[in-house]
Amino acid sequence: MTRKQRRLTMIGCALAVLGFAAGLVLYSLRDSIVFFSTPAMVGEQHIAPGKRFRLGGLVQPGSLKRGDNLAVTFEVADGTAKLPVAYKGLLPDLFREGQGVVAEGSLDNAGVFQADTVLAKHDETYMPKEVADALKKQGHWKDDYAAKPGGGMAAQAGQGQGATR
Amino acid sequence: MTLWFVFALMTAAAIFAVLLPLGLRGSKPSQGSEATVYKDQLVEIDRDLAAGLIAAGEADAARTEIGRRLLAAADPKNSPPLQSNQALRRLAAVVALVGLPAVALAVYLPMGSPRLPDFPLAARSRAPDAQPLDGLVAQVEQHLEQNPTDGRGWSVLAPVLLRLGRYDEAVRAFRNSLTYGGESAERHADLGEALAAAANGVVTAEAKSEFDRALALNADEVKASYFLGLAAEQDGRKADAAKIWHAMLDKAAPDAPWRPLVQAALLRVGSPAAPALSDQTVAAAQDMKADDREAMIRGMVDRLATRLKQNGDDVEGWLRLVRAYLVMGDRDKAKSALSDARQAVANDAERLRQLNEGLKTLGIDG
Amino acid sequence: MIVEGGHYALVLALALALIQSTVPLLGARWRDPALMNVARSTALAQLLFVGVSFAALVTLHVTSDFSVLNVYENSHSMKPLIYKITGVWGSHEGSMLLWVSILALFGGLLAAFGNNLPLSLRAHVLAVQAWIASAFYLFILTTSNPFLRIPNPPMEGRDLNPVLQDIGLAVHPPMLYLGYVGFSISFSFAIAALLEGRIDAAWARWVRPWTLLAWIFLTLGIAMGSYWAYYELGWGGWWFWDPVENASLMPWLAGTALLHSALVMEKRNALKVWTILLSILTFSLSLLGTFLVRSGVLTSVHAFATDPTRGVFILLILCVFIGGSLTLFAGRASRLKQGGLFAPISREGALVLNNLFLTTACATVLVGTLYPLVLEVLTGDKISVGAPFFNLTFAPLFVPLMAAVPFGPMLAWKRGDLLAATQRLTAAGIAALSAIALAWAWARGGAALAPLAIGLAVFVIGGAITDIAERTGLFRVPFAIALRRARGLPRSAWGTAFAHAGIGVALIGIVCETTWNSEFIGTMKPRDTVDVAGYSLTLNGVVQRQGPNYREQVASFMVSIDGEPLSTMTPSKRSFTTRGMSTTEAALLSRGFSQLYISLGDSSADGGTVVRIYHKPLVLLIWFGPVLMAFGGMLSLSDRRLRVGVPKAAKALRGLQAAE
Repeated sequence: MTRKQRRLTMIGCALAVLGFAAGLVLYSLRDSIVFFSTPAMVGEQHIAPGKRFRLGGLVQPGSLKRGDNLAVTFEVADGTAKLPVAYKGLLPDLFREGQGVVAEGSLDNAGVFQADTVLAKHDETYMPKEVADALKKQGHWKDDYAAKPGGGMAAQAGQGQGATR
Repeated sequence: MTLWFVFALMTAAAIFAVLLPLGLRGSKPSQGSEATVYKDQLVEIDRDLAAGLIAAGEADAARTEIGRRLLAAADPKNSPPLQSNQALRRLAAVVALVGLPAVALAVYLPMGSPRLPDFPLAARSRAPDAQPLDGLVAQVEQHLEQNPTDGRGWSVLAPVLLRLGRYDEAVRAFRNSLTYGGESAERHADLGEALAAAANGVVTAEAKSEFDRALALNADEVKASYFLGLAAEQDGRKADAAKIWHAMLDKAAPDAPWRPLVQAALLRVGSPAAPALSDQTVAAAQDMKADDREAMIRGMVDRLATRLKQNGDDVEGWLRLVRAYLVMGDRDKAKSALSDARQAVANDAERLRQLNEGLKTLGIDG
Repeated sequence: MIVEGGHYALVLALALALIQSTVPLLGARWRDPALMNVARSTALAQLLFVGVSFAALVTLHVTSDFSVLNVYENSHSMKPLIYKITGVWGSHEGSMLLWVSILALFGGLLAAFGNNLPLSLRAHVLAVQAWIASAFYLFILTTSNPFLRIPNPPMEGRDLNPVLQDIGLAVHPPMLYLGYVGFSISFSFAIAALLEGRIDAAWARWVRPWTLLAWIFLTLGIAMGSYWAYYELGWGGWWFWDPVENASLMPWLAGTALLHSALVMEKRNALKVWTILLSILTFSLSLLGTFLVRSGVLTSVHAFATDPTRGVFILLILCVFIGGSLTLFAGRASRLKQGGLFAPISREGALVLNNLFLTTACATVLVGTLYPLVLEVLTGDKISVGAPFFNLTFAPLFVPLMAAVPFGPMLAWKRGDLLAATQRLTAAGIAALSAIALAWAWARGGAALAPLAIGLAVFVIGGAITDIAERTGLFRVPFAIALRRARGLPRSAWGTAFAHAGIGVALIGIVCETTWNSEFIGTMKPRDTVDVAGYSLTLNGVVQRQGPNYREQVASFMVSIDGEPLSTMTPSKRSFTTRGMSTTEAALLSRGFSQLYISLGDSSADGGTVVRIYHKPLVLLIWFGPVLMAFGGMLSLSDRRLRVGVPKAAKALRGLQAAE
């Protein structure tokens, strides 16, 4: 083999692998990514039942109901709209009413979001980034959501003492 | 002054690090070269050959290749001779002597707080040999974990927890001290106080019932009376509050330590206890009335609203919020709070009924 | 005084780094030995001052000095001592200080042990190292200063995120950083070579130990992080394709490629330009990882920093260093002389193939990690690229790579004989086929691909064993001679075998865990018994306990197999009062390489407790594999002998292997 042929062989190999990888990436990007929505966006976009997406928002206080065999239902709200969610399994440690949540799944025909994953994907401010962004965009962002619980507690403690002493 | 002395020493050390190599003349610096690597590689080939890992022909081919690299590395144009450049060295020395401290100070001064001493926690506790409070609390908690029926332990722990701002735990501790240490007016009143503290200073129905119990056991219980007055004030029954507090002052000894507190409270509800106050105190309390009180009430209402937004189960809280807005004369906010409340408890028939009943007593319907 | 002393030491380190990044370059330009040697003393002094600064911050955390904002926000006087120390790098500011400390450590090590380098190369490398350091000192001082004060210090701190209060945190980030930041040395070497305009086989010899060191730490760091997530997060998962995990995986893939291409360069003086590019890319990916984690553009369990000014600053550093180095590369690369030639079928060819697959796999991870960010910036749509994407793209690229791994060491340098290599691998192939048959017969159900994957893993392990057997002549020559040869074999040869076997071992663990794991999720009351994978677990009861700064609910499970009591497992759920948070502490029971895993959920109203019980077959192999790989790396690192790639002469007889 001449030097040129060698080089061509190698470049050919490299292109083949890269092409293969690019094909894989494009194929997977079409099929295995999921979009993020809030209840209000679900209402506007008319997402078809069965299409997978991530739903984010605040767990509506008082809406959490535990059924038999680890089944739970709760509502996710974003200030304008609410969407009922059904889930079967263990809720993450950081799941709380009134706190942010991200659930992954799809709508059923009755308009209930059937989640197969509920994510506790957030930092110590109890607000998943997607949810915080979406709420901010819709103008429902309140500073008290962002206030760190520790700081908030400290402030309240001071006030509580002031009121009682 | 010590601090600046330390800074000066550190700076000197840094400058020294730069000047040290500049000052060393004549000594030939140790350095490696590519040739060393290739010579080592040649030795390595001999070793592999001796160990039988490569054949003689291969060894020769490898030696040729490495020899070629060795020649290239020895090419003098790749490594021109070293020479000393006094002007540059002097420049570097000046940069180290002047520039380094200048940069250090220019960066440090705007950001540092050289006047602020260290505050390690150990040095801050009052008694030098006392353990930190939290450590003691942990010890008592551990003890109680093992002897949960020790009423005295609970009554020691509870007030400390209350002071530390761990209200929910304080409530539990007071409850336990009642259960295991026996009922007393004082304990009921303390529990009520903890409950109120846990509710951000609002005297809830639960807290109120504790104060009532305390007064049933001892009609002169000061704390319970005071808080019942506060409850009346928070419910908007100012006259009732004033009546309770006046009664307290009437019964109290002239030097009771809580007198000023109650007097200030009376000022708040607009019924000053005239004879007991010097002009100065009145003036001070009235100042508070002007600014602080308004701010305090607003703050309390806002906090309540925030809490309800996060957790809407609390029917009583909603009622209190609506009432607070009404008292403050903010009808719009009261209405929006009302609709929020309805939404929050819409799924719970029992709570909705409670809410509607409560609203009736407030004089607002549907 | 400790606070301000630490603060000032950090400032002095910046000043020294500025001198270190300029004076030695002038020295190299004018060939002045004294000026070039300034790099060495300043690098050591810089290490000293950063060390002082870091020690000061640790002291402040230990003594709970809440007049320091960073301590107040991330510590608590009741925290156990070990977590007070680890809390230092649990916070953003502290972790960045650790980052630069490690950077200074590598600079200091190079200054202290770099005597074998030519003077001007050492001056250049240390100067480039100081550029990076200066940028990060500035970043820390202006946007993430850990020494800022509170004039009226509060009595108590705000505690550390309880999820992060774990021994895994004590070891995992420093390990990762040692890896991430270690690649800065190969980057500096590459830039130095470009600045000097000269590069040859000796360069690769010098850069090898540093790259290897960084790679070992990164391998261990990733494995440890994965194990930490496995037992701390309570889901039993060990890899989530979380952007933060990807951020550490990408430099690992590129770094692994770099190790292999540097090998070619050291032995055969070929692939020079590519090796330089890989050095730049590897460290760029480390920087990218730092940016992703530290800027808060992604928020996940790992990311605790969200402040846009920080993000912008790191992005700026990122652009300047990556853009600058690539521009320099584009300008200078053509001047570098091409080296040795080789045929496509040869050891070099195999290593090129390895590089091709590793970098492509790295690129797909990069696409998957950055695509959501880019899309959000461009269109505002929020998407998540999760495990399905990565499984679909990463696995097809890794399968051919792993199939090729055993062939590499069998091929001779310059021109190899694929047929002969295949013949030598017959035994490994037979072992793989029998493994497939066994797996198929034993496992009913599960993915059909799983036995094939196990076969592949066995093939890789078999290949590593064959490699050693071939070199020592085991089974061909008397045992005593083979033993003597084994002793005479360079340690790097053993290192290669261990590292390659490590990948196979990890793959077996991954396949077994994902295919044949069994789980039970449900509510249990005391005295209830469930059966999972042949074990029966009885819930004895649930008790409350008080820890140093938390309360925990501990469940006690009796584990038995075939009616024989085996052990007791005690998973727990902790609640931390200061933050009002709770964490799940899973209980693990190892049986060989398999594990039983129990974690607790909420208590239900009727006195039951929700539990998750998993049986994970051979799960420990997932982490044992990387440990083997790191061990191989250490063997290779300890090898003081030099590597020589003996070229295969065109008509030479085969039979003897090239020396490693």
